[in-house]
Parts: sequence; structure tokens; C-alpha cells
Amino acid sequence: MTDAPAKILIIDDASLVRLYYRNAFEAAGFAVAEALNGIEAMELLLTDGADLMVVDINMPQMDGITFLHRLRAQQAKLASIPAIVISTESGASDREAARQAGANFYIAKPATPNLLVETARLLCGRPT
Amino acid sequence: MNSDELQRLCDFIYRHTGMMFTESKGYYVERRVGDRMQATGAVSFDDYFARLRANATGEIEQLINAFTVNETFFFREDHQLRCLTRDLLTDLTAGRRASSVIRIWSIPCATGEEPFSIAVWLLENWPQIALFDVEIVGSDIDTRTLSEAREGIFGKRALMRLDPALIRKYFTPYGEDQWKIIDEIREAVRFSRVNLIDRQEMLAQGPFDVIFCRNVLIYFDDASRRIAAENLYDCMHDGAYVCLGHSESMSRISPLFDVSRFEDAIVYRKPLSGRRD
Repeated sequence: MTDAPAKILIIDDASLVRLYYRNAFEAAGFAVAEALNGIEAMELLLTDGADLMVVDINMPQMDGITFLHRLRAQQAKLASIPAIVISTESGASDREAARQAGANFYIAKPATPNLLVETARLLCGRPT
Repeated sequence: MNSDELQRLCDFIYRHTGMMFTESKGYYVERRVGDRMQATGAVSFDDYFARLRANATGEIEQLINAFTVNETFFFREDHQLRCLTRDLLTDLTAGRRASSVIRIWSIPCATGEEPFSIAVWLLENWPQIALFDVEIVGSDIDTRTLSEAREGIFGKRALMRLDPALIRKYFTPYGEDQWKIIDEIREAVRFSRVNLIDRQEMLAQGPFDVIFCRNVLIYFDDASRRIAAENLYDCMHDGAYVCLGHSESMSRISPLFDVSRFEDAIVYRKPLSGRRD
């Protein structure tokens, strides 16, 4: 094992939101990569991997739920990367859809830096 | 240039931009026209003016570019930015659904310091940025500064008011004494070429929730100021806010807006029931 910080892939089409999450995670000692949508995320995961994903539901081209479905159907190494899903919807059916797609944790917006960091620490066990 | 030539040129600029230059600004005008005559190889004022009117090589745009003032820096008049996050956005987002679009306009945006400042300020001071879909648009009449804005490269002077920690966070060093704004911020601002007194160009950008229109109306005469104010008004949602420069007052320009006094700034508001005849 290395001492390198855990890497979080943030998948969100809004650049300011990505940056807001990035600031929170980097301040807590995580390494961060970013993708604009599910397609780009899939590519990044295949080449660089990640220890955790933060996935927005509403994205153009490939939404978060479709992305997670596809990812969970991949080979074990990719399919097992934990995912936090962030959505504006807080209804039970939305949580259930995310859970079925393979989300490990569901956060209804607003996702505060503390909540994001605590959840990330819980799901990937290290970095700081 | 004789006074007749000066007058013809000032009229021409006025008709195309709303900016009013009088005899007292003669030196300022002559220097810029002189530069353009040299650049185009015009042999006389009449020769240059004919080329300008024919506009075959885009000379109108070049001349306008030469006349705009683009002096600005990050976090200029930051009391208005404080007002934006403390008061304006709090008011505008009350009762709005998560993921609602909030549109902020910086016009004129010059080389991008203002719209990028807004993005950085929001990230640092407004946690709800993760809750709403914020769109920032920067517009200017000057195409040359717009392309500089899109590059997002700044010198020392532009960053002089920024805390070094913010510079490290949002910029990467770019050659000697220059910094480039990070991609996420660059992507968050859309730039467009807009003339404040061109109604169609203006309407195509709206509507907005907050507009920063600072230190431009001072270059206009009363008639163009009124046109610009009406155009701004029609680019705003009901209840939206417009911030002017510290020496400017909308009340002197147009009766359309309500004055809103907040702790950090005086801003102007389109009435909630706002529909003008």
C-alpha cells in the first residue's frame, strides 16, 4: 500500500459545483479528479481509476443513474468503486432508484463540505 | 484633426456605441484615431473616415475597440460582491427549488476580471452555489478584450487585491508575472459580444437575476444612458437587481427601477410587478 491520498472522482456538469466539491475534498487531504458527464467519467475510470465517486444525477449525455448502471456491469475492479450520489430530489423513489443503480450513499442537496468529507472518509477508509 | 473632423468622428462613435466624446476629450480621440489611421495606412482623415464608413475590413469594430476603457482588477468594489452574497442572492433564492438557474451578468466585462471575480467570490462566500445552477455571462462591446477574457490570463495588477491563498487556489502561474485562471472558473463564465444600446443584442442575452453594469454609463450621454437603462430593465426578471459603479446613480437616469439600500451597497431593482408601458 502507498501513502498516497485516496482519489475521488467528481462527476458533475456544472463546473462551479465541481470546484466547490473539489475545494472541500482537497482541504480534507483527498486527491480529486473531475468529469463532466458519465461518458467522460467511464473513460477516466478505465485509465486512472478512483477510490470513490461523487455522482450528480442530472447530467447531459449520460445521467448519473445510467452511468452507475453501466459501471456496475463492468469488471469487478471498476464495478466495486463506491459511489456517493447527489441529487436535488429527496423523495424515497429517487433514493431507491439510486440505490438500485448501485449508489452506496445518497445525499440530497445542499451537500455541505462537512457532510461530503465525512461520507467520503466513511466510504474509502483513508486518506487523511 | 480640425474641429469639424473631430465632430464627425464623435458623432459616428456616438451613433454606434452611445459613448459621448466632446471637444474636451479631443486629445483622447485624436490619439486613438491617429493610431487607427496609421494601422490602416490612411493618408488623410477623409480617407480614414471613408474606410470607416465602408467598414470593409471591420474598421468600425477596431475603432470601437480602441475607444473602450478596460482598466479593472479582481474584487474591485468588493462591497457589491458582499452585497451579492449577503443580500441579493438570499432574497432571490428564497423559496426557489434546488437546481433553479440563477443568472448573473457582467456587462461590460472587459478582460474578464469581473465575471471571474463573481465566480471566485461565490465559491468562497456562498455555500448554496452547490444547490443552484449558477450561470455567469460576461459581455462587452470590445471584441479584443473578449478574446483576452476567454484566455483568462492576468498580470500582477489585475490580481493585486486578491489574497495570495486565493491566487494559489484559483490560478496557475503562467510565464513571468502572469497567472491563468483555472479551467473550472473559465468554463463557468460564458462570454458574448453585446452593445448596451442595441436592443436586439441585449434581449438575446436575458433575462438575468443580477446585473453588474459598472462604470460604463458615465461615458454615455443622457439619451444613450436612458436607452441602456431600458435595455437592462428588459433583460431582467421581475425583482432582479442591477449594480452600478460607485459614482453612478440609476435614479438620475431612469425612473423604472426601485432603489434598494443594503448594508454594503445601494443597488437598483426591477419592481416585482414590473411591466412598463
